[in-house]
Amino acid sequence: MSATATDASALRPRKPGPSGVLIAGLAAVAAFTVWAAIQIEFTLAPLITNFTNGWEIIQEFLTPNWSFIFRVWEAWVETVAIAIVATFVGVLVGLIFATMASRVTNRSNWFYRVVKVALSMVRSLPDIAYVLIFVALVGVGSLAGILALIMFNIGIAAKLTAETIDAVDQGPLEAADASGSGTISRTRWAVLPQIMPNYLSYCLYIFELNIRASVVIGVAGGGGIGSVIDVQFSRFEYANVSAIVVAIFVVVMAIDQLSQYLRRRFV
Amino acid sequence: MSTANLTQRPDVTPAKRPTEPSKTRSTLVWLGLLALVGVSAWLSGARWSELGSLFTEGWRYFLLMGQGLVHNPFSEPYSEYWTLAFDKMMESVYMAWIGTLMGALISIPFGFLAARNVSGRVTVQVSRAFLNLIRAVPELVFAIVIMLPILGFGPLAGTVALGVGAVGTLGKLTAEALEGIDMGPVEAVRASGASKVSVLRWAFWSQVLPEVLAFWLYRFEINIRASAVLGVIGAGGIGSLLSQLFSKREWEQIGITLAVIVIVTVLVDMISGAVRHRIIAGSAKSERRIQEETVAL
Amino acid sequence: MIELSNVTVRYPNGVVGLDDVSLSIPDGQFVVVVGLSGAGKSTLIRTINGLVPATSGTLSVDGSEVTGASKKQLRAIRSRIGMIFQSFNLVKRTTVMNNVIMGALHDVPWYRSVLGLWTAQEKELGYTCLERVGIVEKAWTRASQLSGGQQQRVAIARALAQNPTVMLADEPVASLDPPTAQMVMKDLQRINRELGITTVVNLHFLDLARAYGERVIGMRDGKVVFDGTGADADDAAFERIYGRSLTADDVLPGRS
Repeated sequence: MSATATDASALRPRKPGPSGVLIAGLAAVAAFTVWAAIQIEFTLAPLITNFTNGWEIIQEFLTPNWSFIFRVWEAWVETVAIAIVATFVGVLVGLIFATMASRVTNRSNWFYRVVKVALSMVRSLPDIAYVLIFVALVGVGSLAGILALIMFNIGIAAKLTAETIDAVDQGPLEAADASGSGTISRTRWAVLPQIMPNYLSYCLYIFELNIRASVVIGVAGGGGIGSVIDVQFSRFEYANVSAIVVAIFVVVMAIDQLSQYLRRRFV
Repeated sequence: MSTANLTQRPDVTPAKRPTEPSKTRSTLVWLGLLALVGVSAWLSGARWSELGSLFTEGWRYFLLMGQGLVHNPFSEPYSEYWTLAFDKMMESVYMAWIGTLMGALISIPFGFLAARNVSGRVTVQVSRAFLNLIRAVPELVFAIVIMLPILGFGPLAGTVALGVGAVGTLGKLTAEALEGIDMGPVEAVRASGASKVSVLRWAFWSQVLPEVLAFWLYRFEINIRASAVLGVIGAGGIGSLLSQLFSKREWEQIGITLAVIVIVTVLVDMISGAVRHRIIAGSAKSERRIQEETVAL
Repeated sequence: MIELSNVTVRYPNGVVGLDDVSLSIPDGQFVVVVGLSGAGKSTLIRTINGLVPATSGTLSVDGSEVTGASKKQLRAIRSRIGMIFQSFNLVKRTTVMNNVIMGALHDVPWYRSVLGLWTAQEKELGYTCLERVGIVEKAWTRASQLSGGQQQRVAIARALAQNPTVMLADEPVASLDPPTAQMVMKDLQRINRELGITTVVNLHFLDLARAYGERVIGMRDGKVVFDGTGADADDAAFERIYGRSLTADDVLPGRS
């Protein structure tokens, strides 16, 4: 206990400096941020200087034309119908792709790789790109919206489900293999029951996403309530647009609640 | 060796066989679901007869897009197409990056306000309601309603819209991460008489930092895709280029642009994924947990 | 008839699972394999139905070559070999009946399998197999609601549904309490006697091996170091298998 102060300080480890990788990483992040900000001429100044110009328009948004919501009821039905059809087809096809995108259920190495690459390409295109593609192929309307959402849903459903399949208990699979069952049977009986709760909640989640996406779909020509927004926006009918926006908000919240209820009840 | 007598009833005193449960319910659920989809297919007003042209026309356009890709990218006009698509795609990436960063910084205080183990009940309720409100409104709507009138057309409006949109989900996830921390260190720091700010900084924030950084990166990946949408209404980025090209039906250039989107997105996802992996490797939570949580992003 | 001649199994990481093993197991025999963990017991069992491929040597079950069999042939061979696992390997989120019929899936066309449309015959098979292990009253219960012993009996019923000529069991009682372990061993023994199914069981406890094994095979470092009747498996044999003398820990408690 008689160690002098100098002895003790010799024993104390020096505070470790941040590692080189961390410094380099942070510097790169900072540099990229500055570069990106310059490229898009990022500034928050207009929020103040242009506020009065914008405020006139925003004021129109603040006085929504509520009756307009019900005048376009057909577009609402269309939006929900589009979401239902696209979810149903998308999650079914997505499930099939998911079984091909997991090593657990796909025992062919090259096929697994091909499916993985294809799926990551499908996922990397934004929903808007699909809408534009299908509008060009089948014309403006709900069909383009449905097809675009199906593609979008396949990507998400397959990714989420494949990750769930990767994590299943392998025991039943070993049992299925030991009894000589085929690939389809073993996937159906040793894997599917295990992933069912997760899969069902992904289905509900994807349905929600499709309702949210309806604005995007419509703006690009894929039908539904989004096309109403597009038309009203281009006619500068901001009071109508804001009524629809508020209504979308309510619908999204309602569907969120509904799917939470269903999840508790059935999953 | 005789397995033939397997079908014979065994001699052990057989218990009564239970009756098979009725399948009526599940059959009805399936029929109901199919009916719902059928009715929806009709109500959606989709012209299903057009599906045929998907295979006839679709194939032709697909080949045209492919042709754009096989031409030498260093010859005119293809080199211009590639450069233009790449520039616009990078603009989308910049928008997503700055937007996410902006949203992330704003989401930190909201995360604390909405965490039950940090703030009082009323504060939590109010801030949760606010975050949910933002979450329910698509970025496109922010852009149309607020950003375009004030900020005008261009990438700036898109960036701010992405930022505001990110506050909702990131705030919620940060709050949930804060609620999931180990309260032991909190007590320890409190017991040492530390100020409230020190407790939040050292006991709360340092526990959730890796996880929250991973959420930010996820959001960045998502915002790259979202920024494409904003372009269509004139808020900058690759979306503006895409919608122009589609209206002019420049199939070769469309093919090139889509290829650039795929390449850049996949590359950014790979880099961001690797960084996320490294960050989370040091935290208590598994990557899988975080993936499950970020489903809501 | 299971015939192994000079079978060696080398895993990709270089570990030798089986080292030049030659064995012949006649039809209807009840064989117990004992040894330390890592001695090659599991490898032996998994090699017999081709879950682990043999590196060299030849192996045949009922005259069909397992070594060098094509995927399709292997599936056909496996469909005649029932297998029981330490962790039961049931699909917990579905009914007991579905689990049992899983054993017979190699004969069910894929579209019926996907939709779960079992014929009356297949259900009858399910009931019969469950009756044989005395658990038919649970036929429509979810497997997750059964106790460990009940789950293992369902797993035996699933193996029976294959209508097997050979039954393999990899540490079937290792996760069960002693009385349940005895019951499951008795079930296996009864099935072996009543149906004449050749049975190979891996066990950790020597006393269970002596009690049930018509023939006991001792393994160590991938080699067969003992092969005889249960009565022959004395303390000297134990030392050869385990490399040390018998202690109280090696006897399944609850059985004197």
